[in-house]
Amino acid sequence: MPERASPSIGLAAALGLAGLAVFFAVWAGAGVLGLVSATFLPGPLTVLGELLHLLTHPYAGATLPQHLAASLQRYGGGVVLAVIVGLPLGLAMGWFRPLDAVVSPIFDGLRFVPPIAWVPFAALWFGTGAGGPVLIIFTGAFPPVLIGTYRGARMIEPALIEAARMLGTSNRRMLTEILLPGAVPSIVAGLRVAAGLGWQSLIGAELIVVSSGIGYMMVQGEAAVATSTVMAGIIAVGLVGTAIDLLLRAAERAVRRRYGLVGGGR
Amino acid sequence: MPGRRGLIAAASLLGLALLWAWATSPFGPVSPERFPSPPLVGAAFLQIATTGFAGATLPRQVLTSLGLVIEGFLVAASSGTALGLAMGWNRRFAAFVNPVFQLLRPIPPLAWIPLVILWLGLGNAAKVLVIWFAAFVPAVINAETGVREIPGALLEAARMLGTPRHRLLVEVVVPAAAPMIFTGLRLCLQATWTTLVAAELVGSFYGLGHVLSEAQQDIYPGMIFVGMAAIGVCGWLTTAVLGWVERRLLGWHASARPAHA
Amino acid sequence: MSAIVFAGARRVYDLPSRRVVALESFDLSIAEKEFVVIVGPSGCGKTTCLRLAAGFDFPSSGEVNVGGQKVTGPGPDRAVVFQHFALFPWKTVHDNIALGLRNAGVPAAERERRIESALKLMNLESAARAFPHQLSGGMQQRVAIARATVLDPAVLLMDEPFGALDAQTRVVMQEELVRLARVNPRTVLFITHSVEEAIYLADRVVVMTRAPGRIKEIIAVKALREQEGWDTLPKIEDVMDQPSFVQLRTHVWRSLRDEQVPSE
Repeated sequence: MPERASPSIGLAAALGLAGLAVFFAVWAGAGVLGLVSATFLPGPLTVLGELLHLLTHPYAGATLPQHLAASLQRYGGGVVLAVIVGLPLGLAMGWFRPLDAVVSPIFDGLRFVPPIAWVPFAALWFGTGAGGPVLIIFTGAFPPVLIGTYRGARMIEPALIEAARMLGTSNRRMLTEILLPGAVPSIVAGLRVAAGLGWQSLIGAELIVVSSGIGYMMVQGEAAVATSTVMAGIIAVGLVGTAIDLLLRAAERAVRRRYGLVGGGR
Repeated sequence: MPGRRGLIAAASLLGLALLWAWATSPFGPVSPERFPSPPLVGAAFLQIATTGFAGATLPRQVLTSLGLVIEGFLVAASSGTALGLAMGWNRRFAAFVNPVFQLLRPIPPLAWIPLVILWLGLGNAAKVLVIWFAAFVPAVINAETGVREIPGALLEAARMLGTPRHRLLVEVVVPAAAPMIFTGLRLCLQATWTTLVAAELVGSFYGLGHVLSEAQQDIYPGMIFVGMAAIGVCGWLTTAVLGWVERRLLGWHASARPAHA
Repeated sequence: MSAIVFAGARRVYDLPSRRVVALESFDLSIAEKEFVVIVGPSGCGKTTCLRLAAGFDFPSSGEVNVGGQKVTGPGPDRAVVFQHFALFPWKTVHDNIALGLRNAGVPAAERERRIESALKLMNLESAARAFPHQLSGGMQQRVAIARATVLDPAVLLMDEPFGALDAQTRVVMQEELVRLARVNPRTVLFITHSVEEAIYLADRVVVMTRAPGRIKEIIAVKALREQEGWDTLPKIEDVMDQPSFVQLRTHVWRSLRDEQVPSE
């Protein structure tokens, strides 16, 4: 019988702490007991120390904040581009069926090519310039933006449009007061997915094509068998990804409240 | 009308093909050195199909990648689904595991690649481990949610009918959670392909990602195109197989998904 | 001997914000093969009653006994028909009905025989291989009733079983249930918020108060029904036209009306 009730908050906290304790004990213990060489699995404190060290000391040409800044710049470029292209296209596809019929098959054909597979063309077209990673982030972030917007545009109930017509709404008003607000929640949900996939694509791209950024730092760490540097990079990537997601979650909640849809995103 | 829509789709793809042929022809604006023309793609395909490229012919490259995808997918999907079912079944176990899971979850799957290469090198074990990191998470989350969202009345009905505790898993929990589990498996498969291609691009001896990376170094646009197309076709194929399995197993499900959703 | 006995049953729920008394000093004895219907305003604890008898929930104090045994958990001797049917969507009609028999270790040949007669009784023969989602609501509820009665349970617990059906289907199901209940009487505890349904089906109607749920009034219907010959009338509307029925309905209505949340 699956338990329907959650454990009390106190019990849940105790169990959670126990889980974390086991995790860190195994991580630290493996090195201390000599099960795994510390070269390949440095302990938690070593990694934390390395993370703090990287904040002020350059590795592979830059400090950790500088690497992250370079990454975030490309990331911003790719995501903004995905929004600039995906948003109008998605709305247009949702509202004009013929366009949908023309674009959907092409989109479906490309869907099964992972963003990361664009790396060779990105390198061919842009060399080690900024365009390469931006292209790869774009291919990662574009589909969710397009799908979210398309769904938002399609999801509007015909009865709402009929009601607005009955009330004598002009075409321009129809767009700004009925169609766009109706699509917004789905658009924002798509943006959140896009932000996550974009961040993941960026890391993939930086492992391969560039000479700065957090991914590049990790590859250099790998080549130098600096495991603690690689692990510090993983943590930094996770933290920034979490921060981006929290930011967009807050935005999503705000938008859903603003448009009268109770509750936040999932 | 689906018939008319299908016609438009065919016309759209044909139009794109013609545009491609014209744009990369001597009269078009795109240099074939930047994006290959159809004849160049054809030539590249012939080469990899017959004499081979990047160390092997196309079937060997495809089978290498496909084998790793299937292996990684099976390992990640089965372990992830099992953990998710356990977490959904036992809330105390979930409370124990959850913080660690939440700690590791935000790390983008591809970020594990350098660490795993450090640990295991460029061989198959490394690929499977990276796939596991990536594809494990959606399997866990969806299986857990699936169990949690089983309507209470179904469990009560099963108990009322005298179903013994040890049979509840097979009779009710797994079938009731199955639609959500399959949602997880679809995400799982997608993550598997992405990570495998990335891992092969970063370093490998065979496989479609390896073809891409060699083609990139040789500045060989036709072969890049062939590699990407092969990855797309393989991705579509595996997704179709998963969809087929889902429809076979979940025929009872009112909203059983269409072929490729 | 009484089949179901509630002795001073009380059920209190401790929510984070407040404490809710769902059921208060609830005393009720249901005789062997008696059909008892509980009516009450929504949130009066009538479903809590049924869940206590089913063993899905337990009294905070007091006792609930079925067949002389204290209820300690759910079991096939107390079959439940749920409001939203609770059919297993991945099992065919046949397999839904089979599960309880399989759990009880009934041999295959006898199992099939009993399933067949249950299907026949509920007019489900043609739907045996269908999945629940392919059936209408009325058909689904027939399956749920067949699934419960095929076990030949000592008591049958029905939680607003027709609440999710449309008005026409509901009438058909009510007539069918009366047919089944009079031909082959069993101990039934039936929950509803429909006054007509209660009077039409019941041997006794229990009227409950608004929260905390207590028994307000118990009305004996069986003697009147037999005296007035309701069961000889083929259609529910004929029964509902009887002056004796109308009078009783008005009485129950008045009793219930005092319990509605005042609307300002």
